[in-house]
Amino acid sequence: MLDHILSILIFFPALAAVFGFMIQKDSMRAYGVAVATIEFTLSLWLWFSFDNGVSGMQFMENIPLIPAFGINYILGVDGISLFIVILAAFFTMIGIASLTDTPNVKNMIITLLFLQMTMIGVFVALDGIVFYVFWELSLVPMLYIIGAWGGPMRIYASVKFFLYTFAGSLVMLVGMLFMAYFFYQATGVWSFAILDWYRLILPESFQLWLFAAFFVGFAIKVPMFPFHTWLPYAHGQAPTIGSVILAAILLKMGTYAFIRFSLPLFPDASAFFMYPIAVLAIIMIIYTAMVAYAQKDVKQVVAYSSVSHMGVIILGTFALNVEGISGSIFLMIAHGVVSGALFLLVGVIYDRRHTKMMDQFGGLAHVMPKYATIFGIMMMASVGMPLTINFVGEFLSLLGFYEQSHILTLLAGMAIIVGAIYMLAAYKKMFFGEVTKEENRNLPDVNKRELIALVPLVIITIWLGIYPKPILEPINNSVEAVVQLMHNKATSEDAKMRIPNVSGVVMTKTTSGEAH
Amino acid sequence: MLSPVNVSLESLNLITLAPMLIPIIGALMIIVIDLFKGGLDKTLYVVISILFLALDFGALLESAGVFTKDGIMLGAFNVMLIDGLAILSQFIIVLTSMLFIPLAMTHKRFHEFSYPEFFALFLFMISGFQFMVSSDNLILIFVGLETASLALYTLIAMHNRDKSFEAAVKYFTMGALAAGLFSFGSMVFYALTGSIEINQIAAVLEANNYADIGYVLVAVVFMLAAFSFKLSLVPFHTWAPDVYEGSSAAMAGYMSIVPKLAAFVVSMRLFEFLIHSGVVWLEIVLWILVVVTMTAANIWALVQTDVKRMLAYSSISHAGFVMAAILIGTTQSNSALFLYWILFSFTNLGSFSMLWMSRQKHLPDHQASDHSYDKFAGMIKTAPVAASIMALFMLSLAGLPPFALFWGKLYIISSAVTGGYTVLALIMALNSAIAGYYYIKLIVYMFMKEPVLGNDGHMYVSNATLALKSIIGFAAVGTIFAFVIINPLLEFITTFVYNSGY
Repeated sequence: MLDHILSILIFFPALAAVFGFMIQKDSMRAYGVAVATIEFTLSLWLWFSFDNGVSGMQFMENIPLIPAFGINYILGVDGISLFIVILAAFFTMIGIASLTDTPNVKNMIITLLFLQMTMIGVFVALDGIVFYVFWELSLVPMLYIIGAWGGPMRIYASVKFFLYTFAGSLVMLVGMLFMAYFFYQATGVWSFAILDWYRLILPESFQLWLFAAFFVGFAIKVPMFPFHTWLPYAHGQAPTIGSVILAAILLKMGTYAFIRFSLPLFPDASAFFMYPIAVLAIIMIIYTAMVAYAQKDVKQVVAYSSVSHMGVIILGTFALNVEGISGSIFLMIAHGVVSGALFLLVGVIYDRRHTKMMDQFGGLAHVMPKYATIFGIMMMASVGMPLTINFVGEFLSLLGFYEQSHILTLLAGMAIIVGAIYMLAAYKKMFFGEVTKEENRNLPDVNKRELIALVPLVIITIWLGIYPKPILEPINNSVEAVVQLMHNKATSEDAKMRIPNVSGVVMTKTTSGEAH
Repeated sequence: MLSPVNVSLESLNLITLAPMLIPIIGALMIIVIDLFKGGLDKTLYVVISILFLALDFGALLESAGVFTKDGIMLGAFNVMLIDGLAILSQFIIVLTSMLFIPLAMTHKRFHEFSYPEFFALFLFMISGFQFMVSSDNLILIFVGLETASLALYTLIAMHNRDKSFEAAVKYFTMGALAAGLFSFGSMVFYALTGSIEINQIAAVLEANNYADIGYVLVAVVFMLAAFSFKLSLVPFHTWAPDVYEGSSAAMAGYMSIVPKLAAFVVSMRLFEFLIHSGVVWLEIVLWILVVVTMTAANIWALVQTDVKRMLAYSSISHAGFVMAAILIGTTQSNSALFLYWILFSFTNLGSFSMLWMSRQKHLPDHQASDHSYDKFAGMIKTAPVAASIMALFMLSLAGLPPFALFWGKLYIISSAVTGGYTVLALIMALNSAIAGYYYIKLIVYMFMKEPVLGNDGHMYVSNATLALKSIIGFAAVGTIFAFVIINPLLEFITTFVYNSGY
């Protein structure tokens, strides 16, 4: 069974979703939770059977799909993707469990299960076209979730989300077709397999163009400044569950794809574009942090802070060294946990008051002490306080980039301080002071169902903040392999210099392994 | 003194004519049956048509077998040319027709289907298209084209809407103009080369090294205009939306597939050698034509308020997309054309059949046209299965993976990349994104809006019968599971196209 565990992980939720049409409406939530729990258990089993010492792909599957055109159904998981897969399974479970009274709950759960299929598919696909299939397919459930259960401007928001990402990924598709064509020219066979592409060394001028094509697709998904304008609408209009999944998992597709495609395929171009992208990332960090400060809607604060932190992930990725990339992958997990939790928390108060405006609140700490505590912990984590999960990721990302540029890192570090300002200000407006509005006096504190969703997130936040090793080690192993591959493939002087040679580290590891 | 003409029957190779003669015999048989006993039910004629098309399909399998063994066949005084293109396109024509004809078995009665002539004309039309694609001879192509078109005009006019006559007359006028342009173009070619066979024309022009380039260009302009009318390329497309609106949804779906495929095959035969001859001017004109057709039709489609008109413009855009394959002109792109068109045929036929299934005899007051967007508002709440299937077809038309049309788009864009048309590839990709908007618009109406008051969902399936549902089910399954058949299909197509020398 372990030979096909990745296929099972992908298609089990889809199959369950199809059968879900037969379930009676009132029992649907239990069914959804059951399916998502099984899926999460399977993903934990995947982690359990995962060999931490191996840097390459594990649990690979290979079925010919369109061999005449080099398209094969190839799956595999390594340290880079493993934890995002688990995160996706985890958040679907938590999301379904914490669903509040939703109209058409049956359609919602079926859609979520389909969405889960596409999310897992993106992270384990090792064939360009299979990756693209899941990448595009993930737009449809999200379009429906935002468009059918969203706020007043939901249709505008959902269509904007769809068209933006669709347009970007089509440019990426052209890039993929070029990549396959270059592979065909070099070897005489068509192939869209990513591991095949890794072996291809392209001249720098080609790399620049292809990098740009892939960049458009990924940057819109992340979303990087100046392509980020769809995100505030999507978050602002989406129902809680939509925002949670969007922030926790869907945005990670972009940053994950940078590490899976852009860096190892185009090392020279990555080094060439390092500074422009770092500048964009820093603009993104600072600008969105300032925008977040100006928001009156607490959900928009969380949304913009989420974009701001995505900037740190990008910065870490384009540090092009092991610390930076490992840190950015860790930060992806951390950002997923923290911003997912924050969106859930905003959902909690929205369910009670049906408003997200901060001036409607005030003094909530008196009324809802447990809620205020959890919100406080998550907010601290979001700010990047030491001993929380975000700190590890942010620190490593910035440390990685510090080796490339001191000044830019300093700027990015400043932005984290700005982050503290807007987050603390928002917290103060909502929770401290006197209770000013009568409606807020008798709000019930978090109930059991919400606690089931939130407590595990708090535990993870603190546990991985104190002891990140179980996750960091497999990530590190795989990242070392990627960086080494980039170093070997790099042709330009600049790239050779920027991308460190880690083979020394790997060598000592293997020798020590043999010595045992 | 005239010497007696001696032709042995073997040299005529009459087997090449068999696939075209079968529908003609079928059509005559339908007329004869009606002569003996009138007033028979349409189901009889539908089944007879299907049977003859099945025979036709069998004959095609036979020719395909001979082609794989012996290569290209000539017949009937060498005017028939049975190569891979002819066989492939006839397969698509016959299969699409077999899928189309059961759409006549509607729940409501439409008077065109009560005439047996409808089915006879339909079969004549098919044989016309079959002649058109399996000849190298401009005269035979012309005869096939006109046989098919004249039958098609009548079929359109038989529908019971006021606009149907307008549509038929409009189509007829434009078709007549195109026919005139075609014959003028052929005349110039004949004057230049003394031949009306495309390969002879190519050989003679090659031999004198395009000495009379001016006249060649004149001929090409006429030919290009003629085919642009048939393929509804911008700016020769103006008839298309009105004709689609006037004809029944089923017929519109059919028109968006079969006549265009026949025209594509002839343009492939004609323009391929001209592009490869290095007539730069033609390449530029085709490039502009392709880009303008794709883009402009997409932009017009954005502002339509009627789903059928939207689909009409989308068909124009798809035609432009596929025309790019002829411009690129490599084996890969020509195979991509056929792959695309096969996948397009059942997706598009499926979506037009969905409209056909919801066709009302009398429009309620709030509804401006047969298939306005409002009609589909909130469909997910009242008819969830129908809405999901319709959404599936829209996503496939938009080119969302893994549904059918995505693979066609992938292969055509890839052939543009391989053929060195980088900018074109990008424009094609971005056009798919523009097109995404209007397909999504229908999904937005169906899934995210509230239904119009008093709509109980019955009207979406008011015309449904088992036959219609099976056709739609077949198209839906084909759309979802297309990725299973892409590989054998691709290998089959590529072999046939390659062995025909394209």
